Amino acid sequence: MTQTASADVVIVGTGVVGVVVAEQLLDAGFSVLMLDAGPRVSRAEIVENFRNLPLGLKGSASSSYPPKPWAPHPMPSTGNPEDDYLQLEGPDAYAQTYIRYAGGSTWHWAGTCWRLTPDDMRLNSLYGVGRDWAFDYATLDPYYNLAEYSLGICGPSDPALQWPPQPRSRPYPMPHLPFSPGEDKFTRVMKEKLGYTNVPVAQARNSGMPYDDRPACCANNNCVPVCPIGAKYDAATALNRLEAKGAVILSNAVAHRIETGEGNRIEAVHYLDPERQSHRVTGNHFVVACNAIETPKLLLMSADSRNPNGIANSSDQVGRNMMDHPQLALTLTLDEPYWLGQGPVVNSGIMETSQGDFRAEHAGAYFRMNNFARNRYETFNALKTGKVGRALDEEIRRRTACTVNVVAAHEILPDPNNRLTLSANKDWLGLPKPHIYYDVGDYTRRSAEVYSMPIARRIAEAMGATEVKEPSAFAQSKHLMGSTIMGTDPANSVVDPDCRAYDHANLFLPGGGAMPSTACGNSTITMVALAFKAAEALIDQARRA
Amino acid sequence: MMIRRLSRVMAALAWLAAPLPLLAQTTANDADDETLARGAYLATASDCTACHTAHGGESMAGGLRIASPVGEIVATNITPSTSHGIGNYSEEQFARVLRHGIRADGANLYPAMPYTAYARMSDEDIHALYVYFMHGVAPVDVPTPPTKLPFPMNLRVAMKGWNLLFHDATPLEEDPEQSAAWNRGRYLVEGPTHCSSCHTPRGFMMQELDDQAMAGAQVGPWYAPNITPDDVGGIGSWRHDELVTYLRTGKLDQAQAAGSMAEAITHSFQHLSDDDLSAIATYIEALPPIGPSDGEERQGDRFSHGRPSDELVNFRGDSYAEGLEGESRGAQIYSANCASCHQPDGRGTADGYYPRLFENGILGDENASNLIATILYGVERETEAEGHVFMPPFGEQPNAFNALSNDEIADLSNYLLTHFGRVDENGKASVEVTADDVQTIREGGPGSPLILLSRIGMGVGIVAVVLLGYWLLRRRRAAKR
Repeated sequence: MTQTASADVVIVGTGVVGVVVAEQLLDAGFSVLMLDAGPRVSRAEIVENFRNLPLGLKGSASSSYPPKPWAPHPMPSTGNPEDDYLQLEGPDAYAQTYIRYAGGSTWHWAGTCWRLTPDDMRLNSLYGVGRDWAFDYATLDPYYNLAEYSLGICGPSDPALQWPPQPRSRPYPMPHLPFSPGEDKFTRVMKEKLGYTNVPVAQARNSGMPYDDRPACCANNNCVPVCPIGAKYDAATALNRLEAKGAVILSNAVAHRIETGEGNRIEAVHYLDPERQSHRVTGNHFVVACNAIETPKLLLMSADSRNPNGIANSSDQVGRNMMDHPQLALTLTLDEPYWLGQGPVVNSGIMETSQGDFRAEHAGAYFRMNNFARNRYETFNALKTGKVGRALDEEIRRRTACTVNVVAAHEILPDPNNRLTLSANKDWLGLPKPHIYYDVGDYTRRSAEVYSMPIARRIAEAMGATEVKEPSAFAQSKHLMGSTIMGTDPANSVVDPDCRAYDHANLFLPGGGAMPSTACGNSTITMVALAFKAAEALIDQARRA
Repeated sequence: MMIRRLSRVMAALAWLAAPLPLLAQTTANDADDETLARGAYLATASDCTACHTAHGGESMAGGLRIASPVGEIVATNITPSTSHGIGNYSEEQFARVLRHGIRADGANLYPAMPYTAYARMSDEDIHALYVYFMHGVAPVDVPTPPTKLPFPMNLRVAMKGWNLLFHDATPLEEDPEQSAAWNRGRYLVEGPTHCSSCHTPRGFMMQELDDQAMAGAQVGPWYAPNITPDDVGGIGSWRHDELVTYLRTGKLDQAQAAGSMAEAITHSFQHLSDDDLSAIATYIEALPPIGPSDGEERQGDRFSHGRPSDELVNFRGDSYAEGLEGESRGAQIYSANCASCHQPDGRGTADGYYPRLFENGILGDENASNLIATILYGVERETEAEGHVFMPPFGEQPNAFNALSNDEIADLSNYLLTHFGRVDENGKASVEVTADDVQTIREGGPGSPLILLSRIGMGVGIVAVVLLGYWLLRRRRAAKR
């Protein structure tokens, strides 16, 4: 073991949350050292990886990011569950996708940035289900603003099209992106036939102008798995800037143990390099920002005599309450061409269906018509028809134009039984793989039965679908939440309202893990807001020390 | 030529010896709206802000650091601050800066300040500028760091000799033989918009070569191209309205402004009136046409070469790392770093926001500086008509899309030049870029301030010796008498 480095603040994870916290600290004058388990790569390399993929894998978010042996992450299944990185159990599969690369999983996010609504944060008070947040929307609002200006979020200026419907305290930094012709049609049909308002997605994408020293979106429709030009925010775009501000970033450095000392303060983080050598990094404050699977895994792996259940785990809640946005996707064949695929892959959605008194009984849902170009999927269906030559071309063309994907994304309640533990199965470094038990639960299932699927069928009918392919099971949204849950009571919560671990005064765990409710919209913008809040608390605490 | 220079020397000497012409004292009463507006317009046309406003800084408060290998030249505060700006300048002192490049304290300015062009403006316009700077610009009481250049570049007095030889401080006079538009265009081009400062090649002493007016010249890493109306060497193929559109937007299908021209369009040209832009175009179109500097016979101008094409077949299926080892290295770099905006075959986006690369002046030119500089430094300009245009850099900036090496940029450039540039009958590009060329542009270009300033220094030294000799000679003669 060698003592490699030290800094005021050590941050594990170089994804969006780690990067946002790091920049706040650097700007406040603190030294920062960051660790990432995975490699640091150029966008050029990932773009070519994507282009070289066979068509069947182009829809995979992770196949353009082959994992390093020392930093495995979930990949399309080989068919043998033993080979999989995530060891899954339970009625539903918590088969998430994320990548362990410097810059983290915003490399392949769509960039969707729905804020929570005030009601989303008070499920227990209003509806008697789930958990309330430790603070209200007004408390979170300024951090949302910081997040939107930092990442560069484009969104509508018309209040009637904004989500949540509350008046904004600050306008979006950029106007929303235009709808594709298919989205225009969808918006019109939803309004006329069902009374729903399909609103522009607030998204981390440069809309008609450069922002954050990055170029404007030119509609490659390639947001997932990689924006080829950096018009979509991803944390990788910030790494050079952090280094210019003095950060030290170590890639291929796999954190495997958090070391505690006197007063149960965190003393050091130990990491393994690709030669399996261990190094010790010390600091005054520590941030673990590896999101809701890798963060609890690291905390549990670091159990010591002071913390026999794992770091930050006196509540026994580390790894529990695993959440996501369980989704059901319908594929519709339509009479008329919609020609999806112009612009970003997700560009609009119906959010109003996520709110209502029904939440006392079942989950709400957010409906969207994905704007992925359809040829990537429909080519295979066209091939199955047996057509060849020009007839095949025409079939691909017809299906690409006339099929759409309508998704219902649901909220889910925190359930302690949905739990991540350490598998006996080990990875290349000999570290335990994550084992996850998961059941989406009756609250969400009931929504599918009585609420979301009936709405989805009405949407299909309104659009004049001639063929409807319904899903057989819930799929995952890759929105990891809940495993280091926030609350006001240390007995049932891992972190306090500033994402500070109750058990360790100098350890912060910002990110999706802290979220006590999921609502229906994508989690990243809330994670980033929490990162700004945590950074503010950390800076305050460090200055007083 | 020699006679003309001598006469200029004599005229300048006469001016130095004569008492300063008495100019009317300006008071706040002179700041009538019309004069103020005229001054503001002229300040825009003169693009004062390009140098005198730091990025994100207060207007005209200086502080912009112009990096050079010999140190930073810092633009000064020209707000009417009495403590740190030009608030104490009388109008005659102000006029002396613009006409003669001499500050109130008597020190000479470096010709980075284009007083050689501003000198051609009328007394009325200099008066309007004075009124604007005194009453239309908010004073900012913040000092700018002094410019500290090492010897011999720090000898400002050396500029006196250069001015004697090369500087014409007389206002332009109307040419009754020419149209009003031509006269107005000449006035704008030779005066406030100081086009020749960049576009006219310079001689050994860094003086503008009048017989090569607007024939193209290196300006740091960028090359200000030939803008004479020559059908091959210049922009003779552009219609009048295209030239006006270019000045308004910086964007045509065949040419886009980058570097300091993008700044000039952002801060200056786009704000000029239709009539003035048209007048500028009229004058430019009437300049003596000058062919390519290499004198070679050729077909077509720099906007007429290349066609949509690619080499994808040579590397698709290989990883980026493998592609970089392969025979189509430049094409591989293009595919991974450029094609997502400019399209695999160089066609650009349909709206031209990300431009096409074939039939584009940057690739058809005989000078590859702009190609290399665009890759290294990117493009940024903002106009009312076309919005905020931005291409990320590929140098060592924190926001570089990818920090490409000299070798990589050379290979990429040669790929682009072969596909979209001017090639011979064997398909060989007429211009070739080496890694050394890229390094030169990375360091600030062949015309970097180091060379420029040392040349000025050397030139001034020679002038000083000549003048000293002349003075000694006269003294001896006088003594003999």
